[in-house]
Amino acid sequence: MLELDGLTRRYGDVVALDGLTFSVPPGQVFGFVGPNGAGKTTAMRIVLGVLEPDAGSVRWEGRPVDARVRARFGYMPEERGLYPKMRVREQLAYFARLHGAEVDAAGRAADRWMEQVGVADRAEDRVEELSLGNQQRVQLATALVHDPIALVLDEPFSGLDPVGVDVMSQVLVDRARRASVPVLFSSHQLELVERLCDAVAIIKDGSLVACGTVAELRARGADGLWRVEVQGAVDGWAAAVPGADVREGDGAAMLVRTDDEQQLLDAARAAGRVVRFEPVAPTLAELFREAIRA
Amino acid sequence: MRGLPAVLLVARREIVTRVRERSFLVATLVTIGVLAAIILLPTALGLDQSKATIGASSAAGERVAAAAAPVAAALDLELTTERLDEAQARERVRDGDLDAALVGDAPEVLVRSDIDDDLGAVLRQGAAAVRTDEALARAGLDEAQRRAVVSPPPLRVTELDPGRNDQAQGFATIAVFLLFFQLIGYGYWIAAGIVEEKASRVVELLLSTIRPRELLAGKVLGIGLVALGQLLVIGLVGVLLAVATDSVDVPGDAVSALIVVLAFFLLGYAFYSAMFAMAGALVPRQEEIQNVATPIQIVLFATYFVSFQAVSDPEGGLAQVLSFVPPTAAIVLPVRVIAGDVPAWEIAAGSIVLAAGAAAILLAAARIYANAVLQTGRRVRLAEAWRPR
Repeated sequence: MLELDGLTRRYGDVVALDGLTFSVPPGQVFGFVGPNGAGKTTAMRIVLGVLEPDAGSVRWEGRPVDARVRARFGYMPEERGLYPKMRVREQLAYFARLHGAEVDAAGRAADRWMEQVGVADRAEDRVEELSLGNQQRVQLATALVHDPIALVLDEPFSGLDPVGVDVMSQVLVDRARRASVPVLFSSHQLELVERLCDAVAIIKDGSLVACGTVAELRARGADGLWRVEVQGAVDGWAAAVPGADVREGDGAAMLVRTDDEQQLLDAARAAGRVVRFEPVAPTLAELFREAIRA
Repeated sequence: MRGLPAVLLVARREIVTRVRERSFLVATLVTIGVLAAIILLPTALGLDQSKATIGASSAAGERVAAAAAPVAAALDLELTTERLDEAQARERVRDGDLDAALVGDAPEVLVRSDIDDDLGAVLRQGAAAVRTDEALARAGLDEAQRRAVVSPPPLRVTELDPGRNDQAQGFATIAVFLLFFQLIGYGYWIAAGIVEEKASRVVELLLSTIRPRELLAGKVLGIGLVALGQLLVIGLVGVLLAVATDSVDVPGDAVSALIVVLAFFLLGYAFYSAMFAMAGALVPRQEEIQNVATPIQIVLFATYFVSFQAVSDPEGGLAQVLSFVPPTAAIVLPVRVIAGDVPAWEIAAGSIVLAAGAAAILLAAARIYANAVLQTGRRVRLAEAWRPR
């Protein structure tokens, strides 16, 4: 279990993180979302020890993370980066060694991961000679080359083509399911997060605003939200219903929030022919907008 | 990974990467070539004029040549005499085969256009010795008496300032070149290496595995070992060439000059690599290195020029003072050690000041590097890197 506990970090007067707390259990794909500048990158850098927190701690299996444990984490920074002039295999082996592998083991790990991400035929090429897509694959292999016990990836999907997105998704899910590794990643692609993640944390201004499994959050957000379609209705009928709040659309098809759906249904039938009347579980994108607005 | 293993791993990568670059091999060979040219060219072009061949067409000419031989030996001039008739002598002097010829019974010197100063003096003295010998014989002295007058025992020479000689100054001049180019070249590599990691953003990934200090220490160590190794190879080739071609009088002097250069390179490199590391940590792109490296390069250039002054006047007041200022001591002090007669206490004190300066700058560089190296997107001001908000 990877735990972030009360992480706080300031840059001068700017509070980047303000007591951020959540945890990622092993085997879980965990999405980390929030608007730009919410503190996601700062939090991830603190988890990897690239930055020091002003307060709070990162724990692994209940104990504060030390250098030895941290060396076994895998990381993909938001700003991708490899040595442009270093050869692919050499680079992977170098990072495996930085993570503590012996020479032979590092070489074997490099070979294995080049095979896995599909760049084995480019082993002796310099990274700068590879296509952008292949560079991304090497970057992913770099994060995985030491078989990390936890994976932290900052915007791993940004800049990937659809095939790259599929490869990345498979690898993340595979690491979580097969290696029982906690996988924490940030993304702005909320549909993707919703599809891939078991749980999400939404942060804003350095604090957590929502956290839980996707199903939990959607069920909680579904409370009192109805999709209504009425044929032949005149615009504005729903606004006249006491306690009803029209979120989207008007007249024929709309999304309405109300605590008294029976009264809304009566009004709908009075307004026209009701063809659809159903409770709505919001998408993650809708939940996100809701959470950020609050 | 932590501590020394991390430093060594980073250093190893630096060494392997640098040494494998073609430009490194080319630079090493070019430097060796230039050094070889400095050592070999004077002999190859005959600039040192250590040989002269003369002809003699008469018995009197031969006597002058024989009397000139010991004088020539004293001037390090290897004099060869050929016996031939006058017509041959004239022809071969005109062709340039002979440097001079002695013809006639009251010998006359033939040269093509102009006589070399040393050779002229040698022949004049030879002729004078022959005439003196003849005059003494006419005055009735026997051969032993005449020899005592014409070839007296050599004058006793006392060296008042034995440390200084042309050869030591030659070594010191080469030392200035080598130290200057190693310091400015490899210092720049430090800055460029740091910026490469910043510009490519790989530094964040590196810092998720090792500490900034370890990364910096590994880089400085690795590049330093490459520079030291290159200097050692160049120096050894230079010494071997010089000994093989007999260009140095005392091979031991060349070896000790090389040792002084290597030892002071380590101190100077510690100082300047830290300066260049600070500069590199502040900028995000290769294009901006020049802006921050220029002040350091100006100091190095100034040191370079003032070092030549130290070569010609190693005991002068200016050279003495600059031996106690770390940026200049890096080259001025070793130059004085090679070219002059510097008291041991001055060498020790100057070295300690330089080492202390290097240690202080290294500590400052480690701090600035750690604070600034993750600022990959923008130029960082020095004050901000020293004390981040």
